[in-house]
Amino acid sequence: MNIRSVWRKVLYERQPFPDNYVDDRFLEELRKNIYVRRYEYWSVVFESAVVIQQLCSVCVFCVIWWYMDQGLLSPQKLCEVGLGFSLIGYLLFDLVDHGVGRKDSGRTRWDDLKSSLVFVAFTYGFSPVLKTLTESISTDTIYAMSVLMLLGHLVFFDYGANAAVVSSTLSINMAIFASVCLASRLPRSLHAFAMVTFAIQIFALWPSLQRKLRAHTPRIYICVTFLFGIFAMGGLLSISSVGALLFFVLLLSVTFLCPYCLIRLQLFKDNIHGPWDEAEIKEDLSRFLD
Amino acid sequence: MTVKIFFPTCCSPSENGLLIGRWLEEHRSAVVLAIVHFPFIPGNVKRYLAGLERETGLRLAVLGTWSNIKAQKDEQMESFLGDLKSIFIHRPWLRITREASIIFWDCRIEGVDEEAEEEVVLVYYDQRKVMLSELHDATEHSEIATVFDTVARNRTLFALDRYDEGPIKLTHWQSDGVEASIIVELCKQASVPLCALLSFILSLIFSVTRALGRKPLSFLWNKLSTCEQLGKRLDSLQLICGTKAAKDHTLFMRKASTLVSLLLDVILGIVLMSWLYRGDHIGQLANALMPVADRVAVELQGLLQWLMGAPAGLKMNKALDEVLGRFFMYHIHLWISYIRLMSPFIEVILWYIGLSACLGLSVALSVLSDIIALLTFHIYCFYVYGARLYCLKIHGLASLWRLFRGKKWNVLRQRVDSCSYDLDQLFLGTLLFTILLFLLPTTALYYLVFTLLRLLVVLVQGVIQMTINLLNSLPLYALVLRLCRSYRLAAGVKFRMLQQEHGKCLRLLMQINPLTYGKVLQQYRLPSSNLYPKDSWGALCKKLFIGELIYPWRQERDKQD
Amino acid sequence: MEDRTFSDIEGGKIIVQERLFSKTCKEFNIICPKMSVRSVVTATFTAWVAAYAMYAYTENNMVLSATTVSTIIGLLFYLHFVKIDQESLLLIGSLGIQMTLTYTSGKESTEFIEMHKIKDVVINEAIFMQKAIYYLCILLEDPSEPKRISSIVPLFQSAKPNLNCLVQVYNSCQEILSERKSFNLVD
Repeated sequence: MNIRSVWRKVLYERQPFPDNYVDDRFLEELRKNIYVRRYEYWSVVFESAVVIQQLCSVCVFCVIWWYMDQGLLSPQKLCEVGLGFSLIGYLLFDLVDHGVGRKDSGRTRWDDLKSSLVFVAFTYGFSPVLKTLTESISTDTIYAMSVLMLLGHLVFFDYGANAAVVSSTLSINMAIFASVCLASRLPRSLHAFAMVTFAIQIFALWPSLQRKLRAHTPRIYICVTFLFGIFAMGGLLSISSVGALLFFVLLLSVTFLCPYCLIRLQLFKDNIHGPWDEAEIKEDLSRFLD
Repeated sequence: MTVKIFFPTCCSPSENGLLIGRWLEEHRSAVVLAIVHFPFIPGNVKRYLAGLERETGLRLAVLGTWSNIKAQKDEQMESFLGDLKSIFIHRPWLRITREASIIFWDCRIEGVDEEAEEEVVLVYYDQRKVMLSELHDATEHSEIATVFDTVARNRTLFALDRYDEGPIKLTHWQSDGVEASIIVELCKQASVPLCALLSFILSLIFSVTRALGRKPLSFLWNKLSTCEQLGKRLDSLQLICGTKAAKDHTLFMRKASTLVSLLLDVILGIVLMSWLYRGDHIGQLANALMPVADRVAVELQGLLQWLMGAPAGLKMNKALDEVLGRFFMYHIHLWISYIRLMSPFIEVILWYIGLSACLGLSVALSVLSDIIALLTFHIYCFYVYGARLYCLKIHGLASLWRLFRGKKWNVLRQRVDSCSYDLDQLFLGTLLFTILLFLLPTTALYYLVFTLLRLLVVLVQGVIQMTINLLNSLPLYALVLRLCRSYRLAAGVKFRMLQQEHGKCLRLLMQINPLTYGKVLQQYRLPSSNLYPKDSWGALCKKLFIGELIYPWRQERDKQD
Repeated sequence: MEDRTFSDIEGGKIIVQERLFSKTCKEFNIICPKMSVRSVVTATFTAWVAAYAMYAYTENNMVLSATTVSTIIGLLFYLHFVKIDQESLLLIGSLGIQMTLTYTSGKESTEFIEMHKIKDVVINEAIFMQKAIYYLCILLEDPSEPKRISSIVPLFQSAKPNLNCLVQVYNSCQEILSERKSFNLVD
């Protein structure tokens, strides 16, 4: 028996080694953590601004609804303010990338006008129906449903991650569903109209503007996020200080604590790679299709 | 080797003579049909048998001799009978001898090879019953079926009797007493011109109905079950009044059953009519009809009020509730005013409709079914409205739910695919989805209530229709025949062992085993449309859930030739 | 004529009468165990106790009369349609096989099968729960398709005699059927 001969990793030859022999070259092709990303603290903090934005949107929405419900805010004022901000945002949208995005997407101003007219007309037309929609349902049920829907909105929102659970359609639909539920609790149909329009502005139009800002002018984006957060906290403070405190803690942890945890936990990563991994097709096979 | 002799019981007491009948070679059995008495001329006998063969197609022959010894043995008779074997050549030649006061007969077979012992089995049968009976489930090579067939086809043989003057004197079942009935014969003679007249009248009626059955009116006729019933009655009348006699047993039974059930129907209808008209029941009915219709309308209004409130604690949408409730109430108002308008004429109309009962009880029942359908027409309307609304809502909800999740129905691939929608589509879709979802309980409740009412009405109509079908399809004649003359419908035969004696031939009595009542019903059911539920339970529930309009009964004509 | 006592598959006693009329004609008559008085009394008693309970609850006379009537009708129905007193098998070598069922009320129900339809008589084995039961049956054939068995007719379904009895009946059947076969072959 010649044990000096080299052990080879084949099964089709009879080798002079016992069946339970372990060679020195065992697992020499094992690689660990070769695809680990190196995160930089401040860029992660920068990215977390998207989550902050959404949390603040939800908070602002709830605050505005609370004010309307208490009668502290009149629907006309909300409509005016909302209209003003929408116009400013509309102009900013084109100004930020100097009209390139508009040319690329091919939407004319006439299309935009048509869409907005459709929104306004339908909302105004359906607002009497909306108001009486949930009359016979108990308040607790409405609150529970709205909370669920808003949570769902936060979960399914497209934060830029490439995950299967992301579904922008579902998130916006859930937000609108929640807004209709809450709007039906308000005293008059004009309130309902104002609420739903505001919901559209804050859940559909605001994120797309922010996305544009983030892509082209990061500094302004950070400033806007900061101001928005302050505004949300201020509004919440006027309702309940405990809530404001909790919200502040939440924002802080999302902005500063979570990135820190993410980077710290990278050290404990233990991914194993080797020739046993599933094959991934790296080249573009569309050249085989005629 | 066994030889079986089928001997008719009526020939037991007859005098000496020749046995004529049929020999079945493959079963080695002899079917004795009659006994020819002395004096006879062999040539005449042979000619007579040849004539019978031409007529019936069955080969008859002289099978042997029969001697009935009353007092004491006559040697001359014995030898004479022995000589006859050489005149009528037949193998095997039977010699049956009976002595008075001895039960066991002496049966001998001559003319076969003497190697094997021949065992003789003597089977007695009642000739008249076997001639008249109809054997069901007969197969080829069946011995019993051949025996029955032989006896049945030789009716002309039984026309001549020993008391008739002629070259041949026979004994068979008619010797016990010729049966005939003057009334039956007269009816048979009279029925032919009567049938011709009736068929002429029927052809006139048919041409009229064909003219009426054109396109726009035929839609109306299809909806009314009375017209269907009348059509069926006309068909059965046409069947009965055909001038040709029935070719075979099934056709005859069908004609007879149709005639009897038609008569019964008419009699029951006339009884109903006399009851209606005698005690002024028509007036009572007309007077009771108005309050009943009013009561139904008031109950419906009460129901709608209940639905407009908070029925069973369910959360209803006030506005939609009011709208739907008012809409249905308006219909009931219309209905009540219509009924009030008709009320003076109700009695007269009922009086004329009651006359239709003389056409038969089934026609009266179908008129009743149609009246119920007309009176509950508003329930049918409500059901259609409710179902259509609900169906629309369910389809809308399903489609919008797909939009909610960001998916779409791919019509080409018949599956659900993901789809990227525009913002305004999303917004509108979600808005409508919310509205439809919250309005669902209201519509669903209205739909449920009216569907239940409609199902009740359909059930009642179904029960009436089933009764009519029962009246139409019951083969009364066959059932009465099975009750009174059970030998006419035979499922088979049964054998009874008679007293045996060792050394003599085996004696059996063949009796007719009648058909069971269940088989009679199954075999002779009259063709009528059967009421089938169109869908299975699962499909019905699915249709109810989705909101499709249901027509649960389906009439299907029996395919019978 | 011989009378012998056998037992059926459940252990009850049955009496088998065998009669030989001729070389090709035999009859087997099996008398089933009689209806026990105990079961009738138990059933009636239970029905009456239930009726009295109902009567005590509802105070309605109709309950008692209805129970009486239904008990009598039930008993008559049972005697006329359900309880079989005798089962007999008549083998006539040249004609066929006849089965007769006699009910307790005297009603007779007969079935006759012609010889040309009979393929064979066999003892078949069936497994019912934990028991293996033997039963005698006639195999029928369609004369136009002699290779195929068209149906099976089981015999003595109410008497259910055990294997010893069945073997005797089987042997007699085979004797008579074999004569028929030899007859066919000669022809």
